[in-house]
Amino acid sequence: MLILSRKPGESIVIDGRIKVTIVRLEGEAVKIGIEAPAQVPVHRQEVYDEIQRSNRQALVRQSVALPKLTGSKPPARKPKSAAPVHPNPSPLKPA
Amino acid sequence: MKCSTLIETEAPEAPTASQVRLPMGLLGFEHLKDYLLVTNPAEEPFLWLQVQGNGPLAFVVVNPFLVAPDYQPDLPQADVDFLGIQDPDDAVLLNVVTLHSEGRATVNLKGPIVINRQSFVGKQVVLANASEYAVEHPLPVAQANA
Repeated sequence: MLILSRKPGESIVIDGRIKVTIVRLEGEAVKIGIEAPAQVPVHRQEVYDEIQRSNRQALVRQSVALPKLTGSKPPARKPKSAAPVHPNPSPLKPA
Repeated sequence: MKCSTLIETEAPEAPTASQVRLPMGLLGFEHLKDYLLVTNPAEEPFLWLQVQGNGPLAFVVVNPFLVAPDYQPDLPQADVDFLGIQDPDDAVLLNVVTLHSEGRATVNLKGPIVINRQSFVGKQVVLANASEYAVEHPLPVAQANA
């Protein structure tokens, strides 16, 4: 890991297009400003990790049976139907 | 940008599908960019976000306003700009559902998938007010084939 010393108001430029500025020090916290192109995702690590973990856990096979929300309307189809969960749909193009 | 509108669709009898592109993928699945959003009336309010070209894999998603009526997602302006959303009505929000092994289901309210309904381009957005919401918000569900 590259370690650089910076003072408040000073910056680091990454790849000529991402600028990281130390805005100020507030006790134990450092306020950092990040200027990056819109297509460069910037996330707090812990939130990123949490959502990434959740996405990995959420990935399922298309054949999995979905639960019913309790309190919602009864199912329109018969339970334990032999029909596939979702027959091949015809893709719609965006309007 | 505050977002509070529901997806208003008439309930069709047959499943319908729309191609959706997520140029940045989902967090942890940055390489999976092309999806088919499948709505099957029998499975509502859940929808399928089927991965294209990578086996029979999918995410289950749900309109968050149907399961969390008080949801007030605050979308970062950079994401609104990236998606080219001019009007809040153009933003379709879908949140990823996790089906847990013990029959529990939860929905991620921190990072909704926001889709521009005009372009069908979307992105998983980390809300500006993500700290107000859980990544595993419990859903009241009964098992499908119990």
